[in-house]
Amino acid sequence: MPLLIALASSNLTGNLRSHALLAQFLLAEPVHFSWIEKLLLVVLIVVSAALFWKRFGVVVNKILKSRKDPGFHLFPIGKRIWDFFREVLCQAKVIRERPLPGLAHAFVFWSFLAFALVTLNHIATGFGVGFLDPAGFFGRIYFYVAAVFALLCAVSIAGLFVRRFFVRPIWLARPALPGREVSWESGVIAGLIFALMATYLASFFVTDASLAARLLWWSHTLVLLSFLPLVPHTKHLHLILSPVTIFLSRGSFSQIPPLEGDEDFGLVTGKDLTQLVSLQAYSCVECGRCTEHCPANNTGKVLNPKEIILGIRGYLNEYGPTAEELLLGKYNSQEAAFQCTTCGACEFQCPVGIEHVPIIVGLRRGATNTGAWEDDYGGKLFNAMERNSNALGMSQMERDKFVQKQELPIFDGTQEYCLWLGCMGGYDPKGREIISSFVEVMRYLRTSYGVMRKEKCTGDPARRLGNDLIFQQMAESNLEAMQQQKVKKIISICPHCVRTIQEDWKEFGAPPEIEHHSEFLARHQARLPHNKTDEKIVYHDPCYLGRYRNVYDEPRAVISAAGELVEAERSRERSFCCGAGGGLAFLGEESGERVSSVRVQELVATGATTIGAACPFCNTMFRDALANGENSPRLLDIAQIAAMHLPQTAAKSPA
Amino acid sequence: MKIIVAIKQVPERDARIRIDSTGKWIDLNDVEFAMNESDAYALEEALQLKEAHGGEVIVLSAGPERVGKTIREALAKGADRAIHIQSSDETELAAYDALGVARLLAAAVKDENADLILTGLQSDDLGLGQTGVILAELLSLPHATLILKIEKTDTGLKLLRELEDGWFQHLELPLPAVLTIQSGNTKLRYATLMGIKKAKTKEVSVVSVADLAAKSEHLKPVVVLEAVKLPHKQRTTQILGGTPAEAAAALVEKLQFEVRAI
Repeated sequence: MPLLIALASSNLTGNLRSHALLAQFLLAEPVHFSWIEKLLLVVLIVVSAALFWKRFGVVVNKILKSRKDPGFHLFPIGKRIWDFFREVLCQAKVIRERPLPGLAHAFVFWSFLAFALVTLNHIATGFGVGFLDPAGFFGRIYFYVAAVFALLCAVSIAGLFVRRFFVRPIWLARPALPGREVSWESGVIAGLIFALMATYLASFFVTDASLAARLLWWSHTLVLLSFLPLVPHTKHLHLILSPVTIFLSRGSFSQIPPLEGDEDFGLVTGKDLTQLVSLQAYSCVECGRCTEHCPANNTGKVLNPKEIILGIRGYLNEYGPTAEELLLGKYNSQEAAFQCTTCGACEFQCPVGIEHVPIIVGLRRGATNTGAWEDDYGGKLFNAMERNSNALGMSQMERDKFVQKQELPIFDGTQEYCLWLGCMGGYDPKGREIISSFVEVMRYLRTSYGVMRKEKCTGDPARRLGNDLIFQQMAESNLEAMQQQKVKKIISICPHCVRTIQEDWKEFGAPPEIEHHSEFLARHQARLPHNKTDEKIVYHDPCYLGRYRNVYDEPRAVISAAGELVEAERSRERSFCCGAGGGLAFLGEESGERVSSVRVQELVATGATTIGAACPFCNTMFRDALANGENSPRLLDIAQIAAMHLPQTAAKSPA
Repeated sequence: MKIIVAIKQVPERDARIRIDSTGKWIDLNDVEFAMNESDAYALEEALQLKEAHGGEVIVLSAGPERVGKTIREALAKGADRAIHIQSSDETELAAYDALGVARLLAAAVKDENADLILTGLQSDDLGLGQTGVILAELLSLPHATLILKIEKTDTGLKLLRELEDGWFQHLELPLPAVLTIQSGNTKLRYATLMGIKKAKTKEVSVVSVADLAAKSEHLKPVVVLEAVKLPHKQRTTQILGGTPAEAAAALVEKLQFEVRAI
């Protein structure tokens, strides 16, 4: 313990050498408070608290007046407690995704925690009931520890101030609002926090009876009491709300809530905003991590996930949660909502627990389920899905022909796996090649499998574009067919199918177990023949496999067995979308740059001669994006990479 | 404007077709049904006219209970109410030829006194292209077929009609009238969840084939379906030889006169 104190105090003064000197540096507290001072203190506290509640009460009221969240369960609570510990107490996400400012933020946060007791004692002292004795054993140690935090906090907040006002990362700004290029109130808050810490630290250098001690005490108090009402009036509201927001998440990543009753079509008007949506809207700290990682925003689209959330906050501020005004109007645009690829980078990055994807999909549901969304490609896609039950709008006979030509056995309940072809695997030429390669591997491993006689689209594009009618039809019809065939385990080459079957179908029944072929391939690696070369293969993490399913290592294991795995600049949970998700593969030309070509440039820049993909949609986007380049790397699915070195006898020629 | 749209439910276009044991129709087991394509366009035209000029869109369809699904789909897309001429089973309507069916349709809508009756150009299953025009005759209304565009004027309608070989005809027609609509000239709207929910409360009046038939004099079908056969698939490949210029000229000639694609 003496060591700790020595460290702490050497931080304070820099020149202390002996324990004897330590006794001089005790936190000074004014000795006696007159009744006038006490009265003044009471009045100030009441005014501060009143000003705080004047705004905070309004926010709480708006959140509580919002609709209850359908399908929300507090239990299982274990994950919530873990998330709270990791993301709030440990600041893991804040630090991991932006290490330097993240650490600075963490120090400010931890100091606040340390200061809880200090502040309580500080105010108590004013009424003559201070409970921590600066000269006592515990008090002395605690105040020294707090002093270390105070110093770290002061340095950190100064650093954050410099970052915000001099380095000026564009993500912190609100470009849509003139005059809000920088948040001036953040400067004021930073100043107040600095002053809090400075007044605390200075109190170690004065004596209890001095006028300086009294002045410092009062300055600390005044700063504290002016800080409090500013919190709910600024984005610093996240101090209070975001721990609650993180604890009360929807339960899993990008979980789209069920629709409830006959009048629920998604987020149409204020009346549809749920308590979680409102809570999240008020929790936003405007850090812009979502926007920094958004593939749409990075390629010149209108969509800015931060502004979507702040748009909802603006709506709540102006109209409130019972209004009939359309949500896609003054504060949010339909154009932006439909530019989202649902890649989930925003939601993954968000340090305050905002779930962007369910909100954006909710806005789309509101537009599509009511017919307000009019889009040539969207209409064609929905009509094709209705008419042909697949997203590509092809005749179902084409799938039958492929199944016959490849001699794929029909699933009859006796095989271990049901091989789900999906729209891409069943109809798209490139997707069929992936299926063929994967089937070769399964044949080599003598895994028993069969394909459904008839398959409908899982409903993924309809689901993400907000068409619950088609999604429900597809999900129910597929679930029924699987139940009839007694399907127990499904395997699929498409992360979108995997996600939709496993998570989204739950709204209409109990889907069978499902896994992505990368998981299967990684599990059976040892039994497959390898011929490792020194070819550089770059792996692209599909959003729906990585962020949505947390599968990062399995496909890498497959690639590492075939060649030298190289990583793109953005990979794993920071992977950049291919542009196809959220039904956008079917929506025609994008405005601005193409997401796929930005990503392909990144992959090509690694110098790899092969791009390893694990999703037929990524594959098709990259194929198009690579078509323009010369000396393009070849593009293979991990199934094709795994099948490369199978003995020729087992191989069958692709369709 | 009060508009009636006659819609037929037909086997899905890419359904796997098998001839049933009687040899007179296809095996309907395992077949999924859909709204006849050109009827879907007729419905879309009707809905657009209603949106532009107000009024009411009434869906009319004949067939067994399964037709209800297609009727609900039309209601979900925005039609206001429906008349379902319900047959007791799959075979009852098979005894009627195009004239017979048109008589049923005419009897069902006679009292509606609609301003406009739309239907698809032809059905995807039988492909006779007769029902619409016979219906017009039975109701003594003017008609036009293969319509691509409808524009309402003060006195009636201005129409664009497709002729062969890339020719078009501009027509004017007084109201009330019957039009058969060509596919593909407009964008079809998609059915929405809200539409489906609203459709639940919309009126579908069901009249039985037998009741309607009893009201009119009995007519023997003029056309009797004897047997159906699957088309014989033929694939031939022709190599057009000669110099590239000769081959191109030969290709143009074939496309022009044999395939009539250009």
